[in-house]
Amino acid sequence: MKKTCTFVLAATLALSALLAGCGGGGSDPASTGGTDTGSSPPASSGESGSTDKVEKFTMSLRHIQIGEPQKFRKAILDDVVKKTEEEVPGLKFELDGLEDSVNRFTKLPAEMAAGNPPKIMSLFGGAGDAQKYAKAGRLLDLTPILEELGLKDKFLNVLDPFSVDGKVYGLPIGGNAEGIFYNTDIFQQYGLNPPTTWDDLIKAADTLKENGITPFAVGSKGAWVPNMTINTFIGRLAGPETITGFTTGAAKWNSPDVVAAYTLYKEWVDKGYFTKGELGKEYGDMLNDFVAGKAGMMFDGSWRSSAFKNDAVGAAVAGKVAFVSLPPLPNGKGDQTSVNANYGEGYGFSADLNDNELKAVKAFIKNMYSDEMQLRGLLEDGVLPSMKLSEASVAQVSDPLVKQVLDVLNGAGATFPHFDSVVQSKVYTETETQLQKLIAGNVTPQEAADAIQKVQDAENAAAAAE
Amino acid sequence: MPAAIKKAFPHAVMLTYVAVILLPFLFVLFSSFKANNVEIATRPFGLPKTWAFENYKEAWVKAKINVYFWNSLYLSLSSAAVGVLLAAAAAFALVRMKFEAVSRWIYQYVLIGMLIPGNVLFIAQYLLVRNMGILNTHWSLFLPYTAGALPLSVLLIAAFMRSIPGELEEAAIVDGLRAPGLFLRIVLPLTVPALVTVFIINFLGNWNEYLLANFFLSKDSLRTLPTGMVGFRDAFQTNYALVCTGIVYSVVPVLVIYTFLQKK
Amino acid sequence: MKNALRNPYVYLMFVLPAIALYFLFFIYPMLMSVYYGFTDWDGLSKPNFIGLDNFIAAFSDPEFRSSILNNIYILLFSCCVQVPIIVVLSLVIAGVRRLQGFYKTTVFMPSILSTSVIGILWGYIYDPDVGLLNNLLKLFGAGPIYWLAEPQWAMFAILITNAWQWVGFYIVLMLAAILAIPKDIDEAAGIDGATGVQRAWHLTVPLIKPVINVVIMLSIAGALRVVDIVLVMTGGGPAGATEVMASYMVNKAIKYGEYGYGTALSIIIFVIALVLTALYQILIARRQERVEY
Repeated sequence: MKKTCTFVLAATLALSALLAGCGGGGSDPASTGGTDTGSSPPASSGESGSTDKVEKFTMSLRHIQIGEPQKFRKAILDDVVKKTEEEVPGLKFELDGLEDSVNRFTKLPAEMAAGNPPKIMSLFGGAGDAQKYAKAGRLLDLTPILEELGLKDKFLNVLDPFSVDGKVYGLPIGGNAEGIFYNTDIFQQYGLNPPTTWDDLIKAADTLKENGITPFAVGSKGAWVPNMTINTFIGRLAGPETITGFTTGAAKWNSPDVVAAYTLYKEWVDKGYFTKGELGKEYGDMLNDFVAGKAGMMFDGSWRSSAFKNDAVGAAVAGKVAFVSLPPLPNGKGDQTSVNANYGEGYGFSADLNDNELKAVKAFIKNMYSDEMQLRGLLEDGVLPSMKLSEASVAQVSDPLVKQVLDVLNGAGATFPHFDSVVQSKVYTETETQLQKLIAGNVTPQEAADAIQKVQDAENAAAAAE
Repeated sequence: MPAAIKKAFPHAVMLTYVAVILLPFLFVLFSSFKANNVEIATRPFGLPKTWAFENYKEAWVKAKINVYFWNSLYLSLSSAAVGVLLAAAAAFALVRMKFEAVSRWIYQYVLIGMLIPGNVLFIAQYLLVRNMGILNTHWSLFLPYTAGALPLSVLLIAAFMRSIPGELEEAAIVDGLRAPGLFLRIVLPLTVPALVTVFIINFLGNWNEYLLANFFLSKDSLRTLPTGMVGFRDAFQTNYALVCTGIVYSVVPVLVIYTFLQKK
Repeated sequence: MKNALRNPYVYLMFVLPAIALYFLFFIYPMLMSVYYGFTDWDGLSKPNFIGLDNFIAAFSDPEFRSSILNNIYILLFSCCVQVPIIVVLSLVIAGVRRLQGFYKTTVFMPSILSTSVIGILWGYIYDPDVGLLNNLLKLFGAGPIYWLAEPQWAMFAILITNAWQWVGFYIVLMLAAILAIPKDIDEAAGIDGATGVQRAWHLTVPLIKPVINVVIMLSIAGALRVVDIVLVMTGGGPAGATEVMASYMVNKAIKYGEYGYGTALSIIIFVIALVLTALYQILIARRQERVEY
């Protein structure tokens, strides 16, 4: 391997020299502008003579706060960035915004494999994300930093998806509950009760359907979106502990209860409860349809609540949206008030940092994970705090929608996580593939469940062998 | 009368086809000026009620299309030019110089490349570029683009050079010209038609390239037009008018250059 | 006297840059692909040699098999539908005098746009709510059709987009050959009383067979290479309906980190391309005219 490397290097040098000679016409393909190629800047300046001269350095920061619906979260990030740049002399962040799933499922995995992730990055917790990268040694162990900054005990009990062997590798910015957003105007117009009981929910769906309104907006081009619904169906039909049982073997995807969840989803597809052509719709389309009044409800995460403010994309329905938990299922198992609550989205940091960059990371953490920003996240963005906030702070919430989200969480007898943060990535991939096939009508619920369980068995066996 | 129909028929066929080509452009152009999605949906071919020029300002600021455009342009041009030069030099040596046995081997070796569909090497090239430490720089596209064009370029240029009569060179050699001079002063000028063709093919290939550009670069300031535009769409996908504006921005310069070159 | 052309150093100077670059970006990656193809490398941990497991898995992988089928659809569509259209339209353009330049210019236009921009553009044309196509269908009281969301339409939608982009390119290629045919042959036939269509079919088509062969070869290669348009328009969806070999390979490697499996798939794609090219050369092109290198 070493040999090939040296050869490649030699060949490259030879080539660059040749190219430089050939391409003399002024065409220089090297990057313009920022010259930082990721790992080059030396940490300590050798000359001690100019200690007061500030060494300038740039740091890459990958975030997913792009587009209109994310603007509140982006504003918080911008403020943290500005503050951190002021505090750390010479620091300049290079912000790189990517669409969530592009970052999570395409860019970041590739960069992690390549060993050159951004210095600071948007990161999800769980076996397929933070824990996988942490085990591969790509992420910075934050435990000493948390200790140093006195943040260790400030977080709620939400760091597990970001932890490996008791060490913390990422920090969630906040939490969310998943449930049903519904358009109160439309519900009023058709004389419908809020969808707080199963019968009311089904009646609402049927009524809306009859009147040419899509009951549930959904955009299933990215299968994680319908997977949210499946996730809660499974939690309710098979019991909240099911989700964590897949990897231990305590629960099976093809058990009758879990299959029932898939069957229910398919039933709703067949009944026309979901957006027509959902497989071609993006996540953004889902919000669009809901805001446009084309759909009366949507099953989504509470992070969407900030889209329905007066100055946001969903302004058209501002004040006309309510949030409830999925009502108790008639043939459900376990606690029927349980909700899918998760603290998945956060930030992680590259393990490959020099002293200056480490300083910047510390400042970033200090500024991002502060009471102030947590409260702003709650008030401005409707994201539940991942850190302990005082009662007085939480009481400042005035947005009725955010209040409803808090009510849902407070009223939940149990919570269960997203299975994407629990199961191995290959299994999760299979759930996406199979769910889309199920929606397309290519497989039956039983076949889909069997296929997922097959991958689960293989992965569990592989994990046991290690 | 039948004669007139006979004459008009080919035009009818062609005009239909031209309409199929142009309608999408027109649709996007009109949409780009419309205020909102509802207007696009209800009157796809109607002129905008009010011309929303602010879409253009917004898209320009938000999408950095100028950056993408220049990145694409200079990468495509430089790597197409270098590729043609390298290929021409190699083709000259293979066809004209007197090392037939070796040349035949090298020629076959280069032609293997023709059989490898570009994207087959994608993963390995990704790893290579990464090991070379040029991931996230324009070198990571320039080098594979230049290399990727070599097999076809060598094939086409060599074929063309073979058809150039040898007498010219012999005369030049008698006049005391050495191989490099022969190449630069005699063969290269004679090969210009082939070089131009190859250059255009390479340029278009690079200009269009999406796969490598998408995975080898992640900085926004380095992105080329194809990937930059997809990123833009992903960010603003539900704002149809704005994305259509982005499309217009990315299409118009190309069309202008194209018609300009056509005239010549 | 011919010493000028026998200097080995000069020879090397001319050949080496191209060869070295070519080696670095073609041969070396090819060799590395073969190596990784036999491992279970996930990009993060150490690769383990697992023999033929990847290849066995590939052929029992229903997703990959259906992606092969999709490539075959594209191939058949481009050879059996696109190529005849290209030939006919080229003949039509060659046959007219007025507006010939205009047709040539417009027809080529889509080919100069980047595939991804075309993907975005056609994404809007296929959009179920605001798209051009469904708006047209509405005029006839039909639709809406969820072009990119329904498995039975999505592949078709991609085929059309792909054809829209490339037909013009091939037309220009073919037109060059047709226009290069010496006028006197055509005129002689005209005197003999052959009609335009007869002349085109019996005279022109046989004369441009080599170009048609080239176009078919390029179409085959193109059909196996299709990936951008899929990634941009559907990402392989809905439910894998438009997944092609290359997009599946890229997804497996990059998205799911299965580099070993991904490179194994790339080798399979390579072999398929090789076999198809060879078959075409032996069965069809050989019989007509050997493509001389």
